[in-house]
Amino acid sequence: MAIIEVNHVTKEYRLGNLTSLMETTTNMLKRLSRRQPVSRERFKALDDVDFKIEKGEVVGIIGSNGAGKSTLLKHLASITKPTRGEIIVRGSVAPLIEVGAGVNPELTGRENIYLNGAILGIPKKIIHQKIDDIISFAELEQFIDTPVKRYSSGMTVRLGFAIATSIDADILIVDEVLAVGDLAFQRKCFDRMEHIIKRQGKTVLLVSHNIRQVERICTRVILLDAGKLLVDGESSYVTNLFYERSDEKIKSTANRPSSPHSNGNGRLESLGEVELLGIELEDELGRVTQKIKQYENIDVVIRYKTNIDLIKPTFGIGVHTTDILYLATHNSGEQFRQTKLVPGIYEARCRINRFPFLAGSYSLRIGITSGELYRAVFYAESVHHFQVEAVAGLRSMAGSEGFVCLDAEWQDISIKPAQPQSDAVWSQSNVQAVHSV
Amino acid sequence: MLNIAKNLYSYRELIAALAWKNIAIRYKQAYLGLAWAVIKPVTLMLIFTLVRSFVGIETGDVPYPILTFAALMPWVFFQESASEGVASVTSNAPLIRKIYFPREVFPLTAMVTKLVELTISFFILAGLMIYYHMAPTIQVLWIPVIILYTMIVALTISFFGAAINVYYRDMSAALPVVLSLAMYASPVMYPLSLVQNKLLVEHAGGEWSETLYKIYTLNPLAGIIDSFQRVLLKGVPPDFASMWPGVTLTLLILPMSYWYFKKAEYYFADVI
Repeated sequence: MAIIEVNHVTKEYRLGNLTSLMETTTNMLKRLSRRQPVSRERFKALDDVDFKIEKGEVVGIIGSNGAGKSTLLKHLASITKPTRGEIIVRGSVAPLIEVGAGVNPELTGRENIYLNGAILGIPKKIIHQKIDDIISFAELEQFIDTPVKRYSSGMTVRLGFAIATSIDADILIVDEVLAVGDLAFQRKCFDRMEHIIKRQGKTVLLVSHNIRQVERICTRVILLDAGKLLVDGESSYVTNLFYERSDEKIKSTANRPSSPHSNGNGRLESLGEVELLGIELEDELGRVTQKIKQYENIDVVIRYKTNIDLIKPTFGIGVHTTDILYLATHNSGEQFRQTKLVPGIYEARCRINRFPFLAGSYSLRIGITSGELYRAVFYAESVHHFQVEAVAGLRSMAGSEGFVCLDAEWQDISIKPAQPQSDAVWSQSNVQAVHSV
Repeated sequence: MLNIAKNLYSYRELIAALAWKNIAIRYKQAYLGLAWAVIKPVTLMLIFTLVRSFVGIETGDVPYPILTFAALMPWVFFQESASEGVASVTSNAPLIRKIYFPREVFPLTAMVTKLVELTISFFILAGLMIYYHMAPTIQVLWIPVIILYTMIVALTISFFGAAINVYYRDMSAALPVVLSLAMYASPVMYPLSLVQNKLLVEHAGGEWSETLYKIYTLNPLAGIIDSFQRVLLKGVPPDFASMWPGVTLTLLILPMSYWYFKKAEYYFADVI
């Protein structure tokens, strides 16, 4: 039998302010006299969500802001009740909804451990046994008898996480708690979560905006959008779908047709000497495309208008992520040093061989200089957004595996070295050296 | 009703921890610490004693200061339990939004917190009894029953008030006014025997006297305070005639109040 059943759950909130006592009373009178009461607009935070979770499953819930993730968790932790539908939870629930919900600043760390333990329903006896573990996990040995109000924020969340993960419940509900503390502690949290999930075989529900984390921990992912359950399935499939959707969303907001060189988030430096009219990507057959396949040869076609004499121009083109992380660049250098362009409209064409980026969403930046001194006459980022699609068989995504796929080829993997012994030693010490860096 | 008792038991550790937290944070940085818990009844006792020296109040053979202190103890306990109980849900909004446990834990916790403070008052009372050379009798065994009854009365108000307060904060603003008026309608400054005399002996209300007395004792605090004084200071059992209207009223309202609280609790997190 499923440990969690969510049966056609809908949650509505009324928009706007809470009605005053006056309004409630008049509405009640209207209802009593069978007239239409003044009602406020309703908003569906969850819309007919329906799924089941079996014991031992580790399920991620993802979706953009306002998709209903936290609302769903609140229902599972029975903090609130659905407007329609029902939720059946067979087992004890440990809600780690926002770590440190019950941490009181006036109490000391030790007192907070006992208090929070009680709030989370851990018997005092168990806390007593676990308290040393909790303190050492939170790395707070020195400060445990100091009031929490004198803690740094990192210390507070460490304490909260240490307490929360020491609960012994059948179902763990986790809402964005893994990103606490510094990197070393995050690592520890992650390990602890993995331990809880893999070793103890608990049912876990994880809500996170860190999709890579979800993909790594969860076996199954539910994608919510505007309160509706969009997809429910195997984790890499759902997370890829989510990436595609958010890439498209980024693109649709960035490439507005009204502005030919839209500049959503990047810099634009131009005195109007050179204007960008349009950029297009063409595949090998000269077809305009928005989606490039990995390793495809593509042409970047730049239509521009110059209002000045463009003498000895250089053209630069670069690729960056949608959050402006520069990935690659190419500069025409000395190639057009003999060229002089009189004012007018021109087209520049740049061939990129074997486009090397992994599947994901990218953007172009363009720079143009003129004259002996390479004076910048035009520079803009995010001038054109496009997507790279994975080649069949290669499902690695930008970010999780890096951004660039090396244009490499394995020659052989079965070569027997002449002196295997010394070689092995060499490679091992080499590996260690890399790690210690 | 049974549910309350069951929750009280299964969440006893939580209630204890939360009550302990309330007490700890209230007195942690206060130099006088727990002494603050008794300053209110002691001050009121002194003021009442002062007032009484201008306005004659017939108190029988018990010295007025100790009589009024014995009235103030259950009164202050009730008053603070009720007002803290009503505010308890809204003041714990962060917890309500994040973790579920039966919400009646909050009013119950408020009560337990006040119970600790009441206990401290008993030391003052003991001091007063020694001063006036009064010895307790076997009748003090009634005390736990009376306190339990007081808690039930305070809970009745707390459940309903706390739930309303989530939606309309008017509740927590109105309650202190109502409660301070209620003090005058309860035998705190004056003994119940004064009211009995006026209505039952002198028939000051004419033919309505008996009914008026019934109405007066509908206030559970009338019976509570009188019984408290009787068993502690006079060594006689409670006067059930002055108790039963209040008891009946409380037992009638409590289930409704609890039912309303439980019905509203699922929406606390949405509106709080």
